[in-house]
Amino acid sequence: MTDKAAPRRAKLELLVRKPSADGEAEGGYEVKEVRSALAFVQLRPQRVEPETYELAEVSSRVSGQANYILKNRTTERYLLLSGPERFLWDQMDGHTSLQDLATAYVLRYGQFDFDIIPLLIRKLQRAQLLVLTPASRLRKVLARNRGRHLVKMLENALLVLERVNVSSRSVDAFFRRLYRWGGFLFFTRIAAVLCVLLAGAGLAAGVKLWHDAESITAGFGHNPLLAILAVKVLFLFTLAAHQLVHGLALVHYGRRVREFGFTFLHGFVPTFYVDVTDIFMTSQRARVVTAVSGALVHLVLGSLWFVAAMQSGPGFIKAFAAASGMIQWQAFVVALYPFCFIEMDGYHVLVDVLGVPTLKGDATGYVAALARGRAPAPATREEWLWIAYVILSILSIGAFIAFNVWLIVHAT
Amino acid sequence: MPTPDVAEFLRDVRIFQAFSDADLAAVALALRERTVRKGQVLLREGDAGEEMFLVRRGVVVVSKAVTGPVEQVLARMGPGNFFGEMSLFDREPRSATIQAEGDSDVTLLVLDRASLEALIEANPRAAASFFHALVQVFIERLRASTDLVAEVTRWGLEATGLDVDAR
Repeated sequence: MTDKAAPRRAKLELLVRKPSADGEAEGGYEVKEVRSALAFVQLRPQRVEPETYELAEVSSRVSGQANYILKNRTTERYLLLSGPERFLWDQMDGHTSLQDLATAYVLRYGQFDFDIIPLLIRKLQRAQLLVLTPASRLRKVLARNRGRHLVKMLENALLVLERVNVSSRSVDAFFRRLYRWGGFLFFTRIAAVLCVLLAGAGLAAGVKLWHDAESITAGFGHNPLLAILAVKVLFLFTLAAHQLVHGLALVHYGRRVREFGFTFLHGFVPTFYVDVTDIFMTSQRARVVTAVSGALVHLVLGSLWFVAAMQSGPGFIKAFAAASGMIQWQAFVVALYPFCFIEMDGYHVLVDVLGVPTLKGDATGYVAALARGRAPAPATREEWLWIAYVILSILSIGAFIAFNVWLIVHAT
Repeated sequence: MPTPDVAEFLRDVRIFQAFSDADLAAVALALRERTVRKGQVLLREGDAGEEMFLVRRGVVVVSKAVTGPVEQVLARMGPGNFFGEMSLFDREPRSATIQAEGDSDVTLLVLDRASLEALIEANPRAAASFFHALVQVFIERLRASTDLVAEVTRWGLEATGLDVDAR
């Protein structure tokens, strides 16, 4: 029954059947609730085709601010957009979700005035300048090719994994206790000095170990791949520590930890996560410290592993410690290295410092258009930045893959 | 064959509440008991059928196909609730899928068309109260359906952020 007095958030209750082993129905089912609020933040608004609209700048001589007139050439309707609305309009490329849009808005304007987004969407819809696209791109591609057996299997597997989400929204008190019981020590000068000293010791140990790499990896014995897998599994748990430190940083700056949990990102990347959105309410320094502090966990752990490997005699333990140190340092670099098409901590620091919150989307969009001959040759600083980002990212990913292949070949 | 306490159970079922003890005993004799294992589908949307069911124990999920393996849950029915009466009366295919909820087995009492017609013929007064109660339940379900349509429409508006005020 509809509650007329106090409208609740709308939700759909869906029954999703699972195919049985022989492909028939009767394979059980799962009841899933989909909330409209969740569906809304995942929408990817897309402005109409460029030939359908026209945009003109109108500067105010009184306030000195620029406004914009957006015209729908088909319906002959005109809209007045403010600077922030123009910024949001530029992001509405069909790839950026409303959630990403809100993040970009906060990074650009430092305000949580999110009402501007639904209001602008309504305005644009009324003027027939917008198309709303739900769901993720990966899932759309899989859905298009569902006819293929392999794709269908992959889609089902992702569906199952995507549902795995162990999380809590009542974690703020836990993080505050953790901070009081010693977490605050991570944010002291002594901790910073210790971190630098450990990094130095780790680097020295790492260089020394590197020279004996062949004899060290021999310590894995007859099952090097199994040992590396064990190292990776152990590493997974340190990702939780990474996220915990992000949460502690939030508490350190007096902000609230909104959520902590475990999920499979995009359905296949096991990961822990913490919601640090509240940090956008503070200074740029706080945002940078929060982003970097999580990655430093890997630097410290990696250094400790390297030192432990140095102290161990030849054998399995030495090899295991050295490999763990290596993977932790890799994680440190990957987390802070901004040029890899992945929006990790380093990327967030970069876009925050540059003040270009949608760098990845803009860069890939521009370079893709350039490759198809649909974009003008680079002329502005921004366009060169986009090209540099894409080139650096491609080179970095290539180097990272080559390095890991070399490591595995070397170990085996 | 139903157990002897079926008549006692029927006393608390809304559509039989105006029945006398003798009428209830007659209905109890006309019903057959059926068990559906937990998670098992009893009947599917589109199936033919000429029976209505009373839930005696457990809970069934009523759902309607939306797309592919996804169905919308329309209702859950527990002891004393009934379903399947639409096909019994209009002879059309089943309008929804009925499945035992995953927690426990479900015990149902089945009334087929022949038994219903025999009951009507033997006791028209009881039949009149049966249909009166049935209409009351239909009205409630119709109201629930219109509420559901409104809820789903609201979901769509909220999920898409569509603003219809100004259209």
